[in-house]
Amino acid sequence: MSFKNISITPGWEKYMTKEYQDLVERGPYGKQKKVSEMGSFKEVLEEHPMCAGCAMTLFIRLTMVGLPNPEHTILIGTAGCGRLALTQTSIPFIYGNYGDTNAVASGLKRGLEIRFKDQAKDVVVMAGDGGLADIGFSGVMHSWFRKERFTTIMLDNEVYGNTGGQESGMTERGALLKMAPKGKMFDKMDMIGLAQTSGVAYIARLTPTNPTRVASVVRKAVLIAREVGPTFIQAYTSCNIEYAIPTPKVMDDARDIESKRYGFMEIISDEAKAYLESIEPAKKVKK
Amino acid sequence: MYLVAHIDQAICSETACRLCTQYCPEANTILYDNAAKTAFVAVDRCKGCEICVGICDDLAKHHAIKMIMINDLESPFELSKEGFHPEKWDGKHP
Ligand SMILES: Cc1ncc(C[n+]2csc(CCOP(=O)(O)OP(=O)(O)O)c2C)c(N)n1
Ligand code: SF4
Ligand code: SF4
Ligand code: SF4
Ligand SMILES: [Mg+2]
Repeated sequence: MSFKNISITPGWEKYMTKEYQDLVERGPYGKQKKVSEMGSFKEVLEEHPMCAGCAMTLFIRLTMVGLPNPEHTILIGTAGCGRLALTQTSIPFIYGNYGDTNAVASGLKRGLEIRFKDQAKDVVVMAGDGGLADIGFSGVMHSWFRKERFTTIMLDNEVYGNTGGQESGMTERGALLKMAPKGKMFDKMDMIGLAQTSGVAYIARLTPTNPTRVASVVRKAVLIAREVGPTFIQAYTSCNIEYAIPTPKVMDDARDIESKRYGFMEIISDEAKAYLESIEPAKKVKK
Repeated sequence: MYLVAHIDQAICSETACRLCTQYCPEANTILYDNAAKTAFVAVDRCKGCEICVGICDDLAKHHAIKMIMINDLESPFELSKEGFHPEKWDGKHP
């Protein structure tokens, strides 16, 4: 929960695993690493059992690079594929029951603000479309209405991937899935519109086609949530298993879906924009 | 036997664009050797998805990555054995 906690007590180095030592010495702590430096620093994500070529895995990997202060961050996840990797990071992870993520995050963030008055702690929920738009829906909405200061990242693979292909509220109308054999009969939920209605301070929708952009969106979302209010990222992270995408074509699919319907968009409140400009005055903040 | 990604360092080091490592879904799998100016693959981490091949062929247009049988590698680099030590790499992991 801080670099001090992660550092090895002198004399105990030889008892720690190589992976841990590498992380302390060559990890992304202290100064935020850039996407262009990937491959040259030790990432916080370790080996995990997510499928080969999964775009969600890539998105999680890039998210970890985007975190402004990994040593002061707590991740919250739940049932669904993403937690298979999220539990293998060196960032504290809390497993909220399916549906509970945003309630857990609300209490946690409030508690952290009381406990650590002089050190900002970031809380980031990462969960699936089923976890956030279906079963956790009311928790998500209420955390937004209450203006809870944490980031919600939806890993939107447009299906219940972990349980074998049921449709979710975020599945496209007409999509054929193993457990939606006649095709989904309803439209994809407009979570971006709902986020706007409930006053989310920063909203972004994107795909993993541009790694630098993913990291920059995550960074903005986490910084704004720290001080201003709730932030929401909806990320297309295809499930190559349930949508039968050959793994070499996963990025082609992401580019295709991005250009046809998913796009890249950001909505930022005036207050959030002013806050970003106040902490990063040197850089020009995009609208 | 299974396929893993293999980078031709002679081609890669001409530009060393570092694009493949940004798109590999697996963390610390395509590593970057600063001294030899080339990317290389930690084969124990590679899941064989071929995303990097498409990135190098179509986006970078360098055609430096091929999928090859793991047994055919001459000196495979395994992160779990060697640890993460960029200062030691220096072109030693073709
Ligand atoms: C309360 C509860 N209901 C149902 C489940 C079973 N379950 C586990 S994962 C999952 C679906 C996950 O879908 P999504 O949230 O979209 O994540 P994905 O696996 O697609 O990333 C379900 C229904 C559960 N773990 N808990
Ligand atoms: S089932 Fe789908 S979403 Fe889950 S890890 Fe596999 S490819 Fe990714
Ligand atoms: S994309 Fe190709 S040329 Fe660029 S770093 Fe990777 S292997 Fe080298
Ligand atoms: S084949 Fe897939 S897992 Fe292996 S190095 Fe390439 S992108 Fe990474
Ligand atoms: Mg899903």
